[in-house]
Amino acid sequence: MSAMELPEAADLLAIARTTLLDEIIPALTGDARFKALMVANAMAIAGRAAQTDPIDDIPNASLICANVRAGKLDDDQDLANKLLAHAEARCRISSRGKK
Amino acid sequence: MDEPRRTGLAAWLPDGVSIIAMSLMSGGAIQQNWKMDVLVDGTPEAWVLRTDSTATLTHSRPREEEFALLTAAHAAGVTVPQPLMLCTDKSVIGTVFFIMRRVEGIAAAHRIVRSETLGGGRVALVQKLAAELARIHAINTPLPFLKPHPDQPPGHRFVAEMRGHLDHGRRPRPMLEWGLRHLERHAAPRGEIVLCHNDFRTGNYMVDEHGITGVLDWEFSGWGDPHEDLGWLCARCWRFGSDQEVGGVGPRAVLYAAYEQASGRSVNDALVRYWEIAATIRWAVIAISQAERHISGTERSLELALTGHIVPELELDVMRATT
Repeated sequence: MSAMELPEAADLLAIARTTLLDEIIPALTGDARFKALMVANAMAIAGRAAQTDPIDDIPNASLICANVRAGKLDDDQDLANKLLAHAEARCRISSRGKK
Repeated sequence: MDEPRRTGLAAWLPDGVSIIAMSLMSGGAIQQNWKMDVLVDGTPEAWVLRTDSTATLTHSRPREEEFALLTAAHAAGVTVPQPLMLCTDKSVIGTVFFIMRRVEGIAAAHRIVRSETLGGGRVALVQKLAAELARIHAINTPLPFLKPHPDQPPGHRFVAEMRGHLDHGRRPRPMLEWGLRHLERHAAPRGEIVLCHNDFRTGNYMVDEHGITGVLDWEFSGWGDPHEDLGWLCARCWRFGSDQEVGGVGPRAVLYAAYEQASGRSVNDALVRYWEIAATIRWAVIAISQAERHISGTERSLELALTGHIVPELELDVMRATT
């Protein structure tokens, strides 16, 4: 068997999560159930991250912060659009598809 | 609670009180709540012991101050668990703690927002939340440990506080800076200053089928604009997936009307929405600091790690509300 035929990280996470949700969590109650649901949530986030290109930090973020705070970028619509798009990209990984 | 701490507690309790059972209640990344069943002169009573978890947020109020706030709220007729006793001697269980009566009810936000009947139904529950807020905002007990509100618009006080927190963060936060600058530019003049609960949201009050059984979590309370609490309650991040604007429970118009009637104060809708943006930023700042406890290794925790992943959604809410 070649290495190519092994399930990839995202696939492993997905099947592990399905097993957790379908076969383990239904048998749990109370605090254990709450914690297992958190585990499933963490696996979903890690799975989405594994299937997405890494999101680069906003370049010069510290400088942008200082200038925003100083009021130098108050009406900079390009910056606002860039920040909005960046937040949307991060949300696609971190939030459960709610957006 | 281990044997030495429990023995210390048993010795500290007043004569005639004996502990039957103690167990840690779930929830509470910042505080620990211990369910206590006791006998007081032979009569069973249900108590809660509240203390700090291992790592405490710097902007969380000490337990002795929370106890004083709870006492003031109880005296003012706010529906809170009756505070019973405070212990500032750390040699007893290792941390400061207080004990209050245990109230029965449901606090789980995802259950409350999905229910048509809890709290007496959606409209009735919103009206009761408004009445509780009006009572809180009328508290005038001297609370000398609270910092007086500075002589500046509450929005500017808020922006300065949040910038202070961001300056201690691990990384720059351009979206939150953007939102704070928006709040700085659009701050309303300083108006009436009242005692704000500052964490009054679904998940922090308990309900049964008839109404509210307890307003919890007083550790962030302080002086501010009454709209701060209305905005925190209405912010999208505290609706738990529900479409209902007031804490995921019911309609905004009901809240405004009931609050105006109970408080005699008029509600400024634009100001509530201003404080909803502020609420989103504040929750993001708290979530960042909670995640930092995990990332730094101070307190490795799945719950804290996941809290960090709430931040992008909050940042998106901020950007959508300010562009």
